[in-house]
Amino acid sequence: MKANRLLACVACCLGLGLGPGSAGAAVVFDVTTAHHHIQVVDEAEIRTLSFNGSRETRMSLKDHLQGHFQYTEYFHMPWLWNTNLTNVLMIGLGGGSAQRSFLHYYGDVNVDTVELDPMVVTIASRFFQLPATPRHNVIVEDGRQHLRRSRKSYDAIILDAYRTTRYGSFIPYHLATREFFEIAKERLTTNGVVVYNVIGSYQGWRADILGATYRTMNAVFPRVYLFPAKDSLNVVLLGTKSPEELTPPEVHQRAAALVSSGRVKLPAFQSRAAALRSDPPRTAARSPILTDDFAPVDGLLSTGRR
Amino acid sequence: MLNVMRSTAALSFAFLGGFAIMVLEIAGARFLARDFGNSFYVWVSQIGVILAALAAGYYFGGALADRFQRASLLAWLLVPTGVFIIAIPHLSGPLLDAIVLRHPADEAVPMLWQKLDPALGSAVVFFLPCLVLAMVAPCMIRLASRRVAEVGRVSGRIYAAGTAGSIAGVFATGYLFIDHLGLAAIFRATGALTIALGVVSLWMDRWLEPVGTGSN
Repeated sequence: MKANRLLACVACCLGLGLGPGSAGAAVVFDVTTAHHHIQVVDEAEIRTLSFNGSRETRMSLKDHLQGHFQYTEYFHMPWLWNTNLTNVLMIGLGGGSAQRSFLHYYGDVNVDTVELDPMVVTIASRFFQLPATPRHNVIVEDGRQHLRRSRKSYDAIILDAYRTTRYGSFIPYHLATREFFEIAKERLTTNGVVVYNVIGSYQGWRADILGATYRTMNAVFPRVYLFPAKDSLNVVLLGTKSPEELTPPEVHQRAAALVSSGRVKLPAFQSRAAALRSDPPRTAARSPILTDDFAPVDGLLSTGRR
Repeated sequence: MLNVMRSTAALSFAFLGGFAIMVLEIAGARFLARDFGNSFYVWVSQIGVILAALAAGYYFGGALADRFQRASLLAWLLVPTGVFIIAIPHLSGPLLDAIVLRHPADEAVPMLWQKLDPALGSAVVFFLPCLVLAMVAPCMIRLASRRVAEVGRVSGRIYAAGTAGSIAGVFATGYLFIDHLGLAAIFRATGALTIALGVVSLWMDRWLEPVGTGSN
């Protein structure tokens, strides 16, 4: 009995040691940088980028615009508020799912990406078909430091900069505080929006971190909408500079117009837009506003099962 | 009896000094994140700068301890340092801004400066207070040692107490303070502790006065 358990334990450890996937998975690239242990793994026609054993990006090897995590399609939602999207800033590159699809579907949108780890930039272009185009400008730097020194204006600022390990994901707390969102707001155009990927859920699992992020964004942006992912525990938050409230019928109408005019070519745009919710998560009321002074993001991650 | 009190006081002093240093290091890395991010290099900088402060503090603390041989010496250093620590969140902004904003807008900061800027920031804010707090340990060794024959044991205990305090400071900050207190409150409390150590050192002065100083 005991020996069996020990054996199972050893097998389990070995399995973990092999990284994500097991039979049929091929590690095509493996590197440890100052920031992460990075692996590129191919399995069943899907290429996965992993940081410290967690899955950051997925891409189909047959069709590079497929296989991605569904929540990244919510990054296209800024179109609902601005039909003239021209300049977009993305913080966090990873395998570049969002960048690849923006550059593919919108020929006149310029994307700036800020990524901390220079090796991630190399990997995105070498293994994840990130196109080299003058419309995409990659800056290797901390996102907040870059925004503080930036003088450009963006129509949308999109954040997907979680840091993940096998123990779960960690929020770079300096990218989640009221002061950070204030810096971001200053860099937005009149109809500008900030889009923020939260790993968590409405109720239960890590609902407190969602509540705190919602409240913090709402302290800076008059309207905050939520787009819960259907196939993963992600909720994408979208804060608008404009105080105008958008109702679900209006969202439906705008989404239909964007698609029929050919402005937005993302195939699932309308059904993604239909996921919009504007009711605050129940945990928002009891959650703190995160500030540079007090941002217990790590402590909040361990709660949320209450 | 006096010996027990003396050594207990010296060990507590070293413990609390070590505690304060590591609260500053851990809360400090968090504090630096708003300006420099919380990347690997911020941690590397913070650890390196604090260790440099410790080396300097041990060196000068030891020299001063031999020169003055009084606990009250620490009061003159610890009280202003406590005030400095309390002022960190309120006064360091412009200094850190100057470091960050000297780079041109909309261009990546050169990799060399991405590595060195956090060290500069950490040095500006945390080097001096940690240097002074590190002086506590050699002063305590000097004052708690009665005879050369016991210097090994005394210094061993002081090192152990200081390091135990540092360990407590790391975990208390990482697991408790960050989740329950704001950074400004953490700096206020650490500053108050430092001032309190300074005041207590005046009182300790009476019965930690050196004996057998003929060796000078």
